[in-house]
Amino acid sequence: MIYLYAIAEELDGLPEVPGVDGTPLARRSLEGLDLVVSEHEGREIAASEEAVLAHAHVVEGLVERSAALLPARFGRGFSDEAALREAIAGRAASLREALAQVRGCIEVGVRVLAAEPAPPPAAAESGRAYMETRLARSEETERLARELHEPLAALARAATRTVGATPRLLLSGAYLVEPGELDAFRSRVGELEAAHTELTFVTTGPWPPYSFAPGGET
Amino acid sequence: MTSVPERPLEQQITLLELVDRVLNKGVVLTGDITLSVADVDLVYVGLRVLLASVGTMERLAAE
Repeated sequence: MIYLYAIAEELDGLPEVPGVDGTPLARRSLEGLDLVVSEHEGREIAASEEAVLAHAHVVEGLVERSAALLPARFGRGFSDEAALREAIAGRAASLREALAQVRGCIEVGVRVLAAEPAPPPAAAESGRAYMETRLARSEETERLARELHEPLAALARAATRTVGATPRLLLSGAYLVEPGELDAFRSRVGELEAAHTELTFVTTGPWPPYSFAPGGET
Repeated sequence: MTSVPERPLEQQITLLELVDRVLNKGVVLTGDITLSVADVDLVYVGLRVLLASVGTMERLAAE
């Protein structure tokens, strides 16, 4: 099996870290794209926490060695060279588009946590009142999430967001930021934090642009 | 307490964000072999549980 870590442009060498299972890294060049892979006997790799971290380390090591990088999702491999070639050939145009978008940018994550999850509406209320309360709350969550997300997205080349994934997680946003905008981005997070002292803001990154690599839904 | 207890929260969220990205984001190509991540999902669920208890930790850190 050929295990895939990332697709890059202008890759300049491989990081000196082992791949998943301790296997050495290798590269392939297909359709003008640089692929970072490792070769494994059979079709199985033990999916462990160590393997996840090894994958993450390889991707991290590739960031500074490439002009643009799309990390691959963990745990994806190809049965042979032909399968890899075919998979890339069918997606080369969209991969190039995605690489152009992330080029020169880093990903920053922002999670906003509400102070406490809202208590459930009183059970004695009528069905309609209950539904109205729930609706009003989800509209309020959406409004607040938008109020936090939009000023950050305005400083980013691209942005994604998830709202209300759990009762406490108000917003989980990913922002594709140019390094020159990072200070401005951090200050804006600080301003939002100052305006919403009841919320907890956690900024993470810079990350390789995982959230801006095309998924498998297409 | 001093300001030290703030670190575990940041570190946990950072680890959760990392695992979230590696497992759920990133390029997926058609025709690939998907490894079973059952064991890894357990790690991920564990982290989510930790994150859910963040409120308690924050209160402890503030005291």
